[in-house]
Amino acid sequence: MAPTNTSHRQTHNLLLISKLLSLRDTASPLALVLDSLEQPATPLIKEYIRRAKLSKVHITFVAFETLQPLEGVDAFVAARKKSPLEIVRAVNAAHTNVSTSGPVRRRLILIDAINPLLHARRTDAHFNISSFLSSFLMPQSPTASKVEASLVVTFHQDVPSPPPPSPYTPSPLSMLTYLATTIVRLHSFSHILAQKAARDRSLVPPVFGLEEEQDGVLLGRLDKPVGNDSAQGVVLELEHRRKSGRGVLEWYILPPASHYPRQYAKEIVTLLDDHPLYRPPQEPSFGAGEEEPESTFELRLTDRQRRDREGVVLPYFDAQQGDGPGEGGRILYDMGEEDDFDEEEDEI
Amino acid sequence: MPTQPPLPPLLAPYVTALPTSSLTVLSTVLGAQGNWLTLRYLYAALNASTASDATFSLSGDNNNNDGKKQKVVLVSFLRGWEFWRSEAKRLGLDLARLTDKRQFAFIDGLSELFSSPRTTPTTETAHPPLPSQPALRGGPIPQRTVLPTRSAPGPIPARGPQPTTPRPVAAVPPPSAPPAPREVGGPVTRLHWSSKGAAALDSLEKDIAAVVAQLKAAATAEDASEVLLLLDQPDLLLAATGPSKDVGATEMSEWVMGLQQYVDATVMTLAADLPLIHNASAAGHQMATPLETEHAAFAIGSAHRAHMVMQLRDLDTGAARDVSGVLRVSKGGAWGQSDNVDTNGGREEREVLYFVQRDGGVSVFGRGE
Repeated sequence: MAPTNTSHRQTHNLLLISKLLSLRDTASPLALVLDSLEQPATPLIKEYIRRAKLSKVHITFVAFETLQPLEGVDAFVAARKKSPLEIVRAVNAAHTNVSTSGPVRRRLILIDAINPLLHARRTDAHFNISSFLSSFLMPQSPTASKVEASLVVTFHQDVPSPPPPSPYTPSPLSMLTYLATTIVRLHSFSHILAQKAARDRSLVPPVFGLEEEQDGVLLGRLDKPVGNDSAQGVVLELEHRRKSGRGVLEWYILPPASHYPRQYAKEIVTLLDDHPLYRPPQEPSFGAGEEEPESTFELRLTDRQRRDREGVVLPYFDAQQGDGPGEGGRILYDMGEEDDFDEEEDEI
Repeated sequence: MPTQPPLPPLLAPYVTALPTSSLTVLSTVLGAQGNWLTLRYLYAALNASTASDATFSLSGDNNNNDGKKQKVVLVSFLRGWEFWRSEAKRLGLDLARLTDKRQFAFIDGLSELFSSPRTTPTTETAHPPLPSQPALRGGPIPQRTVLPTRSAPGPIPARGPQPTTPRPVAAVPPPSAPPAPREVGGPVTRLHWSSKGAAALDSLEKDIAAVVAQLKAAATAEDASEVLLLLDQPDLLLAATGPSKDVGATEMSEWVMGLQQYVDATVMTLAADLPLIHNASAAGHQMATPLETEHAAFAIGSAHRAHMVMQLRDLDTGAARDVSGVLRVSKGGAWGQSDNVDTNGGREEREVLYFVQRDGGVSVFGRGE
C-alpha cells in the first residue's frame, strides 16, 4: 500500500474511533460490544466511562450481572428480576431526576450484559429486543427536551443462546448485529499476537479458552504467557455503519488503563497495524531490496570478464561434436600393468 | 513429596481475603472434583487466626484477614452433612462444634429438596393424596420413585450425632414461608422446593438469608460478622428443575446474585465437563438439549460475573500416581471492575498441579517442582 494511502486511513479511522468512544455528534446511537471470557468488556466500558466523565455526559449503568456500581457512574439501575418495561422506566427516571437540576444534553446508557434478559423466562413472547432498545433512545414525551442518548450494549458471545421459539425467528445475536450502528468485537492482544505469529509461519492459528474444547477449561487466558509483559491491551475489531450505508472496518488497540493518566484528553487508541509488537518496525536495509549483500570481496563481474566467460567452450559441448579428442563422450583409458584385463567382463 | 500445611502456600493467596461482594467460581470435572478446594476455603475462613503464624507468613502480607475469622455458610446440593463433617475433621475442623459456636452453618440442599416437608422418610410410599399438596407441582413420579432412595440415608445419620445441640430454635423459618416449614433442632437446615420457578427460588433465597442473618446476629464484638457463602454445585438445582419448571440460567444467576447481597464473598462450585459446556455451543453439530444449553449458559455466565475462576481438570497427559489434576487460576469477567489494587495483590493467573493424598492432605506445586 502506498504510504499516502496509509496515512490517510490512519487519520480517518483514528478520528472515527475517537468520535465513537467519546460519543461525539451521536455518531452511533447503538454500539454493540461483543466480548468473551477471553477478553471481557470491562476495560472498554471503563474507557467509555472515563471519556464520558471528561466530556460531562450523564452515565446510566443498567446492571444485569453487576452488583457494585462502577466508579464514575451517575445512575446505577439494577435490572435483576425486573421486567423490560420496569427497566425502561427506571432508566428514564434516572435521567429525568437529573435533567431538572442541570442542563445535561447528552447521556450514555451502558448495559453490562444483554444475555440474561434474552434468556429470562419472565420475558414473554411479545418481548422485542429492538423496541426495548429503541425505547431508551426515543424521547419519552414530546415535551421533554431532546436528549442525545447513546446506548452501549454488551453481549457475551460465548454464552449459548436458548433455542428460538419458532424456527423462523432470527437469533438474538443476528438481531442485535442488524440493529447496531457500531459493532466492536474484543480480542486479547496476546492472543492476536500468538495467532499472527502462527499465521506468519503458515501454521494453524492457536485457539484459547472455550474454543480449545478441552475438558474442564473455561478460560485459557494467562496474563504473562512467557514473559510477554508488554502484550497487554485490548484489540478492538470495529465495524461502523455510516448513515450512507457504507461500512468501515478497522482494527484498533486500546492500551491498558494503567498506561495513561485518567484525565488524559488525547487519543490513546492506535491502529493495530501501527503497534510495534504487531508489525515490528522494518529493517532499514529491507527497503533497498535489489542490492546484493556487501562484502570485502568484489563479487561482481566487469563487462570484459562477462564477455570472456561467455566465450569459454565447456568440455561437454566439445564432447558432443563426436570428432574431437573425446570422440563422442567415450571413456578413454590406458591400461597400466597393474590392471588385470578380463575379456569377459571388460571391454574397451 | 514433602508434606504441606493444611493450606498449601501456593494456594493461600487465592483462598484467603476474598474481595468484598465478589464471586469466585470453582469449576470441576468428573475426574477432578473440587471438594478438597472447597474445604480449603472453609479452612481458610474458619481457621484464619490459628493458621496465621504458620501458613500466612509464607503467602505474603497481602491478606487482611490475618487473625480475623470469617463465618461460613455452606450450602451443599450434592453432599450431605456427614460427608463434610468427616472431611473437615481430617483438616482439624470440628464443624459440629463450630456450628454450636455459630461460626458455621450447614444447609442441606439435597436431602429433602423435593420431598414434602414434615414427612418422616419411612412413610414416603404411603402418600396417595398428592394433588392436595400444592408444593409438589413437579409431579408425583420423582417423589415416589427416585427420591426416597436418595433422601433416606441423608437425614437419619445427619440428625443422629447432633442430639446435644443447645440450639432448639436453630433456623427458624421466616413466617412468610408457610409452604416450607423446616425441621428444627439439628445443625442442618434443609432446603425445600416449594412451588414453581422464580417463587421457589425466592423462598430458597429467603431460607438461606435467614441462616446468614442468624450467623451475623450471633457475632460478638471480637469476632467479625463477615460471612463467606460456599455454594456447592447449585447446578444440581438447575438440572433437577430446568426449563419445564421455569428455571433457567438467568433465574439461577439472579438467585446467586441475590444470595451474594447477603454475604461478603461467595464461592460457587460448578461442573464444567465437556458435554455440559460444549454441546450447546455453535460448533456443536447436534441439537443441544435444554439442560446442556442452560447449564452452559449458567456456567459461562457465572464465569463472566466471577472475580476469579479456579478451574480443576485432569492432567492433560493422562493419569499419574503422584498428580491428581491441574488447577488453573484465571481472572474472571468481573476482574478489574473495582479499582482498588490492594485487594488483588498476590493473585496472579497461574496453573499448578495438585495431589490429594490418601489421608486428605493436599499438596500444590508448580510443574516440574
